[in-house]
Amino acid sequence: MSQPSALLTNGLSRRKFMAGTVSAAAAAPLLASRAEGATPVAAEAKLRQPLVTSLRINNQAYELSLDTRTSLLDALRDHVGLTGTKKGCDHGQCGACTVLVDGKRVLSCLSFAVMNEGKDIATVEGIASTDGKLHPMQQAFIDHDAFQCGYCTPGQILSAIGCVNEGHAESESDIREYMSGNICRCAAYPNIVAAILQAREETRGA
Amino acid sequence: MRPFVYEQPADVSTAVAIASRFTTNDDQPTRANAQFIAGGTNLADYMKLGVADPNRLLDLNKLKEQELRHIHVTNEGGIRFGALARMGEAADHAEVKRRYPVIADSLRLAASGQIRNMASLAGNVLQRTRCEYFRETSWACNKRVPGSGCAAMEGFNRQHAILGASDACIATYHGDFAQALIALDAVVHAEGSRGARKIVFAKLHRQPGDTPHIETDLAADEIITAIEVPAIPWARRSLYLKIRDRESYAFALASAAVALDLDGETVREARIALGGVATVPWRAGAAEQSLQGKKLDEASAEATAEAAFAQAQPRRHNAFKMELGKRTLVRALLETRDMKV
Amino acid sequence: MDAAAPKPKENMGEPLPRIDGRLKVTGQAHYPADLPTANIAYGALATSSIAKGKVTKLRLDDARAVPGLLDIVTYGDMDKLEKPKFGNSGATSIGPLHDRRIFHDGQIVALAVAETFEAAEEAAQLIRAEYEEEKPTATFDSPGTATIPAAGRSPLFKEDVKAGDFDAAYAAAAVKIDQRYSTPTQHHNPIELFSTTAYWQGEQLVVHEPSQNVTGWKVELARQLKIDPAKVRIVSPFIGGAFGSKGPMTPRTAIVAIAAKRLGRPVRCVTSRMQAFGTQTYRAETRHRIRIGAGKDGRITAFAHEGWEVTSRPDPYVVGGTSATGRMYDYGSVLTHVSLVQADRNTPGYMRSPPETPYVYALENAMDEMAVALGMDPIEFRRINEPKTEPIGKKPFSSRSLIQCYDQAAAAFGWAKRDPEVGAMRDGDWLVGMGCATAIYPTAVAPCAARVRLTVDGDVRLQCGSHEIGTGVRTVAGQMASERLGVSIDRISVEMGDSSLPPAPVSGGSISTASVCSAVLKACDAIRTKLYAAATAEGGPLAGSRNAEFELVDGKIMAKSGASAKVEDVLKAMQVGAIEEYAEFAPKGATPEALKKLYAGKPEFHGGDQDEDSVKYAFGAEFVEVHINRYTREIRVPRIVGAFAAGRIMNTRTARSQLMGGMIWGIGQALHEATEIDRRYARYVNRDLQDYLVPVNADIKDLQVILVPEVDHAVNPAGVKGLGELGNVGTAAAVASAVYHATGKRIRDLPIRIEQLLV
Repeated sequence: MSQPSALLTNGLSRRKFMAGTVSAAAAAPLLASRAEGATPVAAEAKLRQPLVTSLRINNQAYELSLDTRTSLLDALRDHVGLTGTKKGCDHGQCGACTVLVDGKRVLSCLSFAVMNEGKDIATVEGIASTDGKLHPMQQAFIDHDAFQCGYCTPGQILSAIGCVNEGHAESESDIREYMSGNICRCAAYPNIVAAILQAREETRGA
Repeated sequence: MRPFVYEQPADVSTAVAIASRFTTNDDQPTRANAQFIAGGTNLADYMKLGVADPNRLLDLNKLKEQELRHIHVTNEGGIRFGALARMGEAADHAEVKRRYPVIADSLRLAASGQIRNMASLAGNVLQRTRCEYFRETSWACNKRVPGSGCAAMEGFNRQHAILGASDACIATYHGDFAQALIALDAVVHAEGSRGARKIVFAKLHRQPGDTPHIETDLAADEIITAIEVPAIPWARRSLYLKIRDRESYAFALASAAVALDLDGETVREARIALGGVATVPWRAGAAEQSLQGKKLDEASAEATAEAAFAQAQPRRHNAFKMELGKRTLVRALLETRDMKV
Repeated sequence: MDAAAPKPKENMGEPLPRIDGRLKVTGQAHYPADLPTANIAYGALATSSIAKGKVTKLRLDDARAVPGLLDIVTYGDMDKLEKPKFGNSGATSIGPLHDRRIFHDGQIVALAVAETFEAAEEAAQLIRAEYEEEKPTATFDSPGTATIPAAGRSPLFKEDVKAGDFDAAYAAAAVKIDQRYSTPTQHHNPIELFSTTAYWQGEQLVVHEPSQNVTGWKVELARQLKIDPAKVRIVSPFIGGAFGSKGPMTPRTAIVAIAAKRLGRPVRCVTSRMQAFGTQTYRAETRHRIRIGAGKDGRITAFAHEGWEVTSRPDPYVVGGTSATGRMYDYGSVLTHVSLVQADRNTPGYMRSPPETPYVYALENAMDEMAVALGMDPIEFRRINEPKTEPIGKKPFSSRSLIQCYDQAAAAFGWAKRDPEVGAMRDGDWLVGMGCATAIYPTAVAPCAARVRLTVDGDVRLQCGSHEIGTGVRTVAGQMASERLGVSIDRISVEMGDSSLPPAPVSGGSISTASVCSAVLKACDAIRTKLYAAATAEGGPLAGSRNAEFELVDGKIMAKSGASAKVEDVLKAMQVGAIEEYAEFAPKGATPEALKKLYAGKPEFHGGDQDEDSVKYAFGAEFVEVHINRYTREIRVPRIVGAFAAGRIMNTRTARSQLMGGMIWGIGQALHEATEIDRRYARYVNRDLQDYLVPVNADIKDLQVILVPEVDHAVNPAGVKGLGELGNVGTAAAVASAVYHATGKRIRDLPIRIEQLLV
């Protein structure tokens, strides 16, 4: 097979007119190749019908009417107003959006909110005691200066709690390995490891 | 992202029936209007990028069949992985770690803790390439848009494949778990509108050839229900070695899944699969043969590595994978030999 | 005491925890895209897929058909506004919607605005452009580059420094090297995505956007929109990492502001991780040629540093690190020249230690090569060439503790145990290498204003339009007020990141702590003066002790004599509820225009190599151990030690964290980071965090920061040298030095990767 050109826009000859895509736009060619062709107009309404989704977030029940495309991350931030959970890449590459779903750490950016119907979700806003006492992991992050700008911090803290509860915080090297899904661009890594070591025992009991 | 209808089929046969209704026999699973989703770590990413655009998602997580979630030792002494079991569960499973270190390693060294909690095992083996030119829709890509060309071929192709590539596509298969499975002769159980069947793991993925958009042997309405690894008692002597630019959370530049049946220092049987260097999970059959009956030392390991990469075709930026791939295999063989089991 | 909170030594402040720590660990620190606004609409950008040419047609019909779409801002919609300006507060002169020409890959072609994020994204993906395309020029060696001298193209780079007769000295040198080095394109990739949220309250525009320069942006945005700067407010209370990327304003800000005006409702646009590679700034790739000549005794007699930097076609962005490398050692003779290489790329911008990261990398790698050529210990080589005055203008250093840094770091690292022979050290299957390098960063300071109020209840409110980008400036500013006013830190509130506050300079160039603390110091001292005057006035509680020395401690004015008075009582006696002081700090040598320029968002920088009396730099020494697998050659860094001296350390905790972060950045620059360019199309290929690798937790093991005491009263009233950018200078050269020690391979092109060590 020949390779006509590296760009969909095709060809590189100067001053040649051509149709091209803008970045991140190429859905149409995929649809055209299908047996049934593009989505029938009649189905369009159903396609865009919002779904009512029940989520339990930080021990509070929510019923949200959501676009099926809405990520759990955007549901938390834009629909519930819990902006502590952060968007750092929106593609599962940085860990800033980490929350606990039924006790397990997951990336809320790669999870469609509607897939979490009936699930228990914990975010950074919900882990301190109701009397204001910080979760031991939160306190340890302050004690060890385990952040600078603070943007990745909610994800780091939720991931750290999940990491401890998974049993993957038994050694410093384990912590480093199992916390590697949370990028800290300020690079507080050694302090994050120290914070997790401090909070490990109390977190297990929490 | 284009809008989609979201459904939660209650059992496998319903899921198959819905998929069947909204797809045709000619549809590729990755290009069909109706697609299955489990963990979503791969599909949600590609839907956001506009690379995948199903208008109907069938969420498999509510399927009532509990065996889809289980990992257990079979009567024959192998292990059966339910398709919906998560990567993290398999990586931490005591029997997996004991019987098949290569499997546990391959999962532990893949992705991140969060992704391993989300991603299903079947979804993991079906993950699509991470080729940069595939991911960004404004580049030409024969896999994404058949016949449009391959921007990677003469582009920046450091991470691309040197084995199993064609003139149409050099995209690497980036998974790790699959290398362990192909080395251990795993079998995939699938169910579709034409019934249930077993697929030998080595037949699951398709090399690109002239049709890189055809990625697997599955039909669009077929669901993987389980992955079964046969009993191989000597697979306790096995490991997965993954070489990458940083210490964690990166794709392999080269990797090797190795299992050895040793009689003293002599190799009775070897299993070798290579990752990070090929377009599909890559079993190095000729290399395995060349080692059989030989004493495993540095020289025979090097000869084995030569055999494994004899057919490799380097491109501009990935030529180093020839040497790196060989050295990775040599190191993996020697480290496997030296394992205390 | 735990590692995060080093015990203060001489001239160092207490390791107080960050005053905003609780907000950050509870999700209550609100970054600009978190700030709630009612009735918000969502924006999504569509960007070009070519690097050079012209947009002949935009097809918008499919996008307009998306349910929920509200508006598309594109060509024609910005025509009545001013184009962006390059320099100071502006990232680029390219006004993407003022002009249908495409100057670079990923240039904005439209903004789609919709009721939901999902609809805006869908619509933006459906916008399709038709181009008249031209063959673009990607980078060095691409056809079509233009090379021009850099000197004089930027106010920050006036001249190619030189001293003595390099040619003669180099020709006569007994030992010499002549080598070339390169550094790759890098993108900052702060974890917070770039975003703009804009809304209008009548004629007043409010913009929430992560910014390192709220005052400068206010002025620049008002200029583009042709409105009074007083009608623009930039709000940026917390910034999720910046590293220079949020210093200059990009064209998106005005586009979102216009969208909000057209719709009459707030609009938020969060740029995708991928789009940021083309719509924001970056560190451009550089090349270097270095020649060093020395006598057999190791004394350098000749040093030449030539640099080449890529920039965009329209904007002469230059870093020009020869100003620092030319003054590093006692060279004898110096020759430098910097060139700009213009290509079809977006305009580069500041990225953590913009000049020093690439230039000092080249110098220090060359110094290590030279030490090898001389058969000399690399520390000894630097010791021999330690200058008394800098070689260009023969000015003294205001302070220079480089050798102390080397000595302390070497001792902590265990340099004495290093076998100097190449390849001699092993740990099983791993080759072991050890290397070191110098860190240097100019100490600058700029005018700054601050307002401080002390109330009768003992609370302090501190306001300053600086920016908390993670440095801890909010904490150290509060700490300065705490020390000067004798008020506990938990009674101090610090407001920053808002252009309606007293203006501060851009938070860049490691000037913030010095500039902000100097202004806070001045405001606090004015409060103290008023307090003392009232306390010692006739009838005051300390009447009669007018000439005695005082301190403010725990809410009391304490005289040396032992007499004391409660601040509360003094204020009551004054019959006031609070004393508030607005202070404007201008550095020594400031021009008469200096404060006016501060309010205009164009602050003067002083210090570094610009002052008459001395040159001002902070120094450090970094030591790295690498392990390289003997088969597969991957490089790991099990150990790194850095010792740094930077004048007064306000807070040992935040100082250590900044230096630590810098050192890890240095490891990333040495081993991981590079933006790859498809040279055929001048397009970035690895535009996300999957493929643009930065260090992760597992990459960092044993890391030690040593704070070396240093006193320097010449730099600024606070005695502070900046250190946010010091830590990542030199690291990459130390890694290269260690890699050489382990393998005998001298890697001169960053990043150092497996493939370079396999051959």
